[in-house]
Amino acid sequence: MNDVSGENLRRWRESQGWDVPRMARELRKAARDSGEDVAAHHGLVKMIPQWERGSRAPRERYRLLYLKIFQGALGDLSQRIALGVDFAIRLAEVRTRATRAPSADEIRGLEADALAKLRESMTPAEIRALTAETIAHLHEIVNNLAKLSALLEDEGSQGNWGKA
Amino acid sequence: MSARDEEIRRVVAELDEHITKVEASVAVLKALLAEDDDEVSAAEDQRRRSGNR
Repeated sequence: MNDVSGENLRRWRESQGWDVPRMARELRKAARDSGEDVAAHHGLVKMIPQWERGSRAPRERYRLLYLKIFQGALGDLSQRIALGVDFAIRLAEVRTRATRAPSADEIRGLEADALAKLRESMTPAEIRALTAETIAHLHEIVNNLAKLSALLEDEGSQGNWGKA
Repeated sequence: MSARDEEIRRVVAELDEHITKVEASVAVLKALLAEDDDEVSAAEDQRRRSGNR
């Protein structure tokens, strides 16, 4: 893991949808499970961004804890699809972004707000066209998530998209 | 790489593209609303300043 960059540590964390405090809790939990001592929560919350920026390298015990945490989450998937850990990270990131994106109803709400407060920068027709296009993309996302789910032979990749 | 792996790659790339477009559109709509809020705030500031004179 010596060649894992700070950028990858950030990508691994974000691929799980974890913020820095959650990453700190996971590191402490992994350490506790193997009976190791690690820095206090607030110390880890300071160190994790430094590791991710590359301004400081994690010590060996922390590198091993990262491996322990992410081998389970990403290693299994990368072996199942035989595309490598990098692709597994990208897949997890894309799925996380899909679950965080707004629903069609939320998009329509934004459209209604924008139409109610018209400005010169966009006409009502442009706002409506943008909304329609966005909702069409949401439907494509639902289709792609379903295809992906079938290809990966798992469940749960639909996330919030059933409502789109 | 198997046909299934290639298909997974293709679907993920397509999914990424659609999500990026949704994120961009949402950013445009939110910026439009923020622009409005900024103008309202600027108008309110102007009103307050005029009132203080």
